[in-house]
Amino acid sequence: MKIGLEIHVQLPTRSKLFCGCSTGGDAPNSMVCPVCLGFPGSRPFLNRRALEMGVLITKFLNCKITDRIWFSRKTYFYPDLPKNFQITQYESALGFDGHFMVGEKRIGIWRVHLEEDPGRVKRVGRAGEEVSLIDYNRSGVPLVEIVTAPDLSSPAEARDFLTDLIIELRRLIGVSGEEQTMRVDANISIGEDRVEIKNITGLKNVEKGLKSEVTRQTKLLAVGKRIVRETRHYDESRGVTLPGREKEQEADYGYIGEPDLGTYRIGPLAESMVVPETPLVRAQRMQKEHGISAQAARQIVLTDWELADLFESLSRRVGGDTAMSWTMGPISSGWKVLKANTDGSWKKVTDIVEAVSEGSMSDSEGRLRIAALSGGHEIEGINNGPSTDLDGLIVRLVDQHPEVVKDFKKGNEKAANFLIGQVMKETRGQFASKVIAEKMKRELGKRV
Amino acid sequence: MSFFPSAAWLKELDEKHQLFTERLEDPLAFEGGQFHFSAKDNLCARDFQARAGSLILKGYRPPFDATPIKRLRENGGLLLGKTNMDEYGFGSFSTNSAYGIPRNPFDIERCCGGSSGGAAATASLIRDHVALGVSTGGSISCPSSFCGVVGLTPTYGRVSRWGLIDYGNSLDKVGLISRTVRDIEQYLPVIAGPDHRDPTSQVQPPLDLRGEVRTVGVPEEARTGLSPEVAGAFEEALRDLQRSGIVVREVRMPSLRFAISTYYILATSEASTNLARYCGMRFGAMNENFDQGFNDFFSDTRSRDFGTEAKRRILLGTFSRMVGFRNKYYVKALQVRKQIIRDYQKVMEDCDVVLTPTMPFVAPRFDEIERMKPLEMYQADYLTCPPNLTGMPHLSIPCGYAHGMPIGMQAVAPHWQEGTLLSFARSWEGSFHYRFPEVAE
Repeated sequence: MKIGLEIHVQLPTRSKLFCGCSTGGDAPNSMVCPVCLGFPGSRPFLNRRALEMGVLITKFLNCKITDRIWFSRKTYFYPDLPKNFQITQYESALGFDGHFMVGEKRIGIWRVHLEEDPGRVKRVGRAGEEVSLIDYNRSGVPLVEIVTAPDLSSPAEARDFLTDLIIELRRLIGVSGEEQTMRVDANISIGEDRVEIKNITGLKNVEKGLKSEVTRQTKLLAVGKRIVRETRHYDESRGVTLPGREKEQEADYGYIGEPDLGTYRIGPLAESMVVPETPLVRAQRMQKEHGISAQAARQIVLTDWELADLFESLSRRVGGDTAMSWTMGPISSGWKVLKANTDGSWKKVTDIVEAVSEGSMSDSEGRLRIAALSGGHEIEGINNGPSTDLDGLIVRLVDQHPEVVKDFKKGNEKAANFLIGQVMKETRGQFASKVIAEKMKRELGKRV
Repeated sequence: MSFFPSAAWLKELDEKHQLFTERLEDPLAFEGGQFHFSAKDNLCARDFQARAGSLILKGYRPPFDATPIKRLRENGGLLLGKTNMDEYGFGSFSTNSAYGIPRNPFDIERCCGGSSGGAAATASLIRDHVALGVSTGGSISCPSSFCGVVGLTPTYGRVSRWGLIDYGNSLDKVGLISRTVRDIEQYLPVIAGPDHRDPTSQVQPPLDLRGEVRTVGVPEEARTGLSPEVAGAFEEALRDLQRSGIVVREVRMPSLRFAISTYYILATSEASTNLARYCGMRFGAMNENFDQGFNDFFSDTRSRDFGTEAKRRILLGTFSRMVGFRNKYYVKALQVRKQIIRDYQKVMEDCDVVLTPTMPFVAPRFDEIERMKPLEMYQADYLTCPPNLTGMPHLSIPCGYAHGMPIGMQAVAPHWQEGTLLSFARSWEGSFHYRFPEVAE
């Protein structure tokens, strides 16, 4: 079984691809202008930010970047397409021949290009009396289209691929993780001939649509029938694919160059771009660098980017396994509060874990302290008292408890533990017990 | 004829005419402004319909001004009105308009040329007037030649096309037509210059109005197929130039004969996509038959409201870019276009401008036009198409008269050298005596 995908991802720019209209309109047809409505005399001007995002994705997908790109007109008549042609890229693309890893499997990327989205047609009214309403707010919204090689070998793998891709793109350029961000055309061949399922929205539907198509084609082949090369649609409500209209199968888009936009040199732009580390790439590095399992690495990275930061700094001090158990245990259970705590308490977390692993703090104390750091009002105390005078507090407590001094003098070092406990209670985990104990013993020693 | 004009109707018409001519005597006295201008009807202005000669745009009021119109207005210009044209620029005689046919001011039995026919006639009729024209394949040069005025087609990208209703976007250029080169010199700097709304205008070097012409190249290929009147006037003009010290050099430009077919493939390919948007919804002529399927809906409007020539060019252009023909026609034409540009550049190594007659004949009579086949009409542009394909600036200027009809010659300069053309026209104007039509009051 061979599956190849054409994935359309909406780029999270503020304005549209070829005009200044906002991409975030609510009321139908509220974010439109002569350009995205295709009025006579209007013409497109390219949104530089969209181009940059497209190039970054292309570079991230390890494609060979095209040095000079241009756009094309894809002509077809449809009411949601104001100019009755779509500005897209045909011979030219941002890049070709890249790849994307799904776990250990390499999925080829044939090409990545930029294009504008058409508007949206909505059918309303009772059956038999339906009318079409058209909303052009989406007209001209920037899309990047990613075309894969037919390297995927099952519907589940196709879904994994898309899941991983969206994880990476979310971090890379901030695409929203919503289902409708991604629209997919899926090509599938079980036997000789290829069937295209057009315009599936969302990851789950891609898998479902492909599965139902596998079932259909397998049944046909089982009874010796031939699979017709065609375009089908996935019907979400019925969970089956249906044949497309005859016309679409004969589509000839009559591509010509888009003369209004000229050419753009993106080679130097791509060269100057640094692809930041994306979640799954990071997970893979963490797996190698810190010697943890792939699953654990993925889990940490996907829980939170900064949790992974904390894990990595812990791991460098106390080793991967210890860091792992602390990160997935006490730290992640109080993570929301810890993360909101922007005053550098992470540093304290690493200190605590380090103290425990050195043996200067008990495991349970360490857990208690982390819980204290991440527990509601105790945090407030700590926040209010970064200037707590530890030395002064010790002096005061020692003064208040002459009986402890007496016991200590007698050689009972454990007597100090009561006062150490008092200090810890007062300072709410601000200082390591090791530090408090040393200071306490020094102070008690002075009194001898 | 079944039409009998009533006295009331005649009176109304007469009053309108009276008002119109009075205003044209001194338009600025009526509405103010420092100078007046007109715009070809494919240029958008908020206060006028923009119909581009097409029924399908009847009633369309654009929500914005074209950049050249905006810039002229900002500099004290008064837009008098819109001038008639062939539908979308599809024609050489302005006979393909849905709104009547402009007549040549020198002889009303003859055409104005096209497609900026109305613009050239206006420039010829009104003193101190500058007309905005548009050229895709010769639509400024041709009517300028037929109406005895000066027409400048600037370098492609020199003047912003924001607000220009597209014909062939890689070829369309907004230019100026006027009685003398003086006006053109004055207003070109106003409309020229980069505009962020037209990316193709943003790569231009600054406009330089200076220049000098010492040598003109005359392609051998341009001296065939001319009517005796045009050949005579052009040879006379060459002798005048030589007498004034300019070197006339004979050159060969074999690729010129491919210009017409190359032009029609590229221009119609682009036009057929540009015209796809006219489908009876959103703007212009509306189709109210909403119970039809979309295909029937837009086919209805387009069948009814596009003229014959528009339909012909849509079919031609669609065919040229279809799978199976695209490489043979559209892609091939792109290559030939580059060859033609190289041919010009080679000639221009030794010559300051390339000089030819503008049109092979004087403005034809309407009955002659009726007998012409489309291909013969297309062939008439064999001298105006080539520079348009190259994107090089060119200028048509009167160089003689035959039987009372003006004859024009066309100079082509290297990219961005409008100054060379203006200086050539200035010195020509210094010794040539223009004639203007006498209009019966």
